[in-house]
Amino acid sequence: MPKRVLILGGGDGGTILANRLVKKLPASQVEVEVIDKSDVHWYQPGFLFIATGEAEKEDISRRRPGLFRKGIKFTKGEVMKIDLDDRTVDLADGTKKKYDYLVIATGSTLNPDEIPGFEQGVDHFWNYEAAMKLREKLFSIKEGKVIVGIGGLLYKCPVAPLEIAFLAEELFRKRGVRDKIEMKYVSPIDRAYAPHLLNRVIEEEMEKRGIEVVTFFSVDSVDPERKVVNSLEGDSLDYDLLILTPPQQGVKAVRDSGIGDDEGWIPVDKHFLNIEGYDDAFAIGDATALPTPKTGVIAHFQAATLAHNLAVEISGQGTKEIFDGQSFCVIETGMGKASAQVSSYFYDVPPGLIPNWVLHAMKLAMNKMYWRCILTGMI
Amino acid sequence: MSDVQPTITVDARGVACPGPLTSLIKAYRKAKNGDIIEVLATDAGFKADVEAWVKRTGNELLSITEEGGVIRALIKVTAR
Repeated sequence: MPKRVLILGGGDGGTILANRLVKKLPASQVEVEVIDKSDVHWYQPGFLFIATGEAEKEDISRRRPGLFRKGIKFTKGEVMKIDLDDRTVDLADGTKKKYDYLVIATGSTLNPDEIPGFEQGVDHFWNYEAAMKLREKLFSIKEGKVIVGIGGLLYKCPVAPLEIAFLAEELFRKRGVRDKIEMKYVSPIDRAYAPHLLNRVIEEEMEKRGIEVVTFFSVDSVDPERKVVNSLEGDSLDYDLLILTPPQQGVKAVRDSGIGDDEGWIPVDKHFLNIEGYDDAFAIGDATALPTPKTGVIAHFQAATLAHNLAVEISGQGTKEIFDGQSFCVIETGMGKASAQVSSYFYDVPPGLIPNWVLHAMKLAMNKMYWRCILTGMI
Repeated sequence: MSDVQPTITVDARGVACPGPLTSLIKAYRKAKNGDIIEVLATDAGFKADVEAWVKRTGNELLSITEEGGVIRALIKVTAR
């Protein structure tokens, strides 16, 4: 009898895992089913380029069922409850799914209510609709104060607010309105970007581009009527356009099932990714409580490790590998250049790369390679 | 300071920069004046980060100690 692997979530983690698993094991050994509530897959790093007008919907989305290798079953359905002890998953339509191995790859969900006034007063680009709304504003603002930075403290893609700051600044130059727009970047810590080495490069670039860094500004609330953003530290800033990272949390099904911490992030073993206390249930990607960045790269590398380890476990052949926290994030700095952040569990001081055109070209290439090479499990 | 009992504990051991500080800020968001926040961290940069944060926010750093590679900061919330 083949072992039944049930994957909740068809984002990049879930899709890469499924495709790699059926590449490694024959149908006689494994049966893979992926459940997701939507049949559209978004390339989430592309939302940045939607906001800046450099990509369109068709560039960054695909029909989900077409992304799986032969032999993988895709079910469109909403997960309501996960019972790790009973090895069952309940869907909204009343279906109950059983499994031998479960992988939760449900990502995160936005939680704007954590910051009063966020919904009405803040723009962001963490989904398509928000990115399109932001695009309209970036292309229509003629003068005033633009504030970019960190709102919600735990959010997907640590470098995303830096990227939108640099790309918006470049866009304002191209539109000929830069000299009428004052730009600030707010950060809750004593510098713009946490890793010290790359922060020096980032702050130097911000100074060169006329973006003032406002430190120790932890966004506490937004007054959309008066267009003022307030910090926990007691400061307030006026804005005409406010672009902040939205607060995020684990998905409702995970929170309702009592699997995650108080924000719904799932505690897993940092190397083998099994949910604490279980050897047949795993979590990967943004859904975990690991201290790794919430990025597609992490989900990709975790999926690769877990696919290998599940294949070893099911086939009884080979040796398991560990996930080492490895991540490589390209950071668009505008003007045809990009920088990059490297991190892993083992770096005391994570290295960064000076902005250059090669990394920018790499990021653009990634937008294409994602569909053909990464999701399919080729690389 | 060992007799001071924390009212909130933030365990950020094993979390890289800026995780310990952002975890402290998250706890601070929900705290009230008089609370004692205890932060446990293993990131070497946390010591300097928390000292700068306390200075900037006007809260009180009761103690900061290090034992067995774990930094323990006790912060009295006074600026909420």
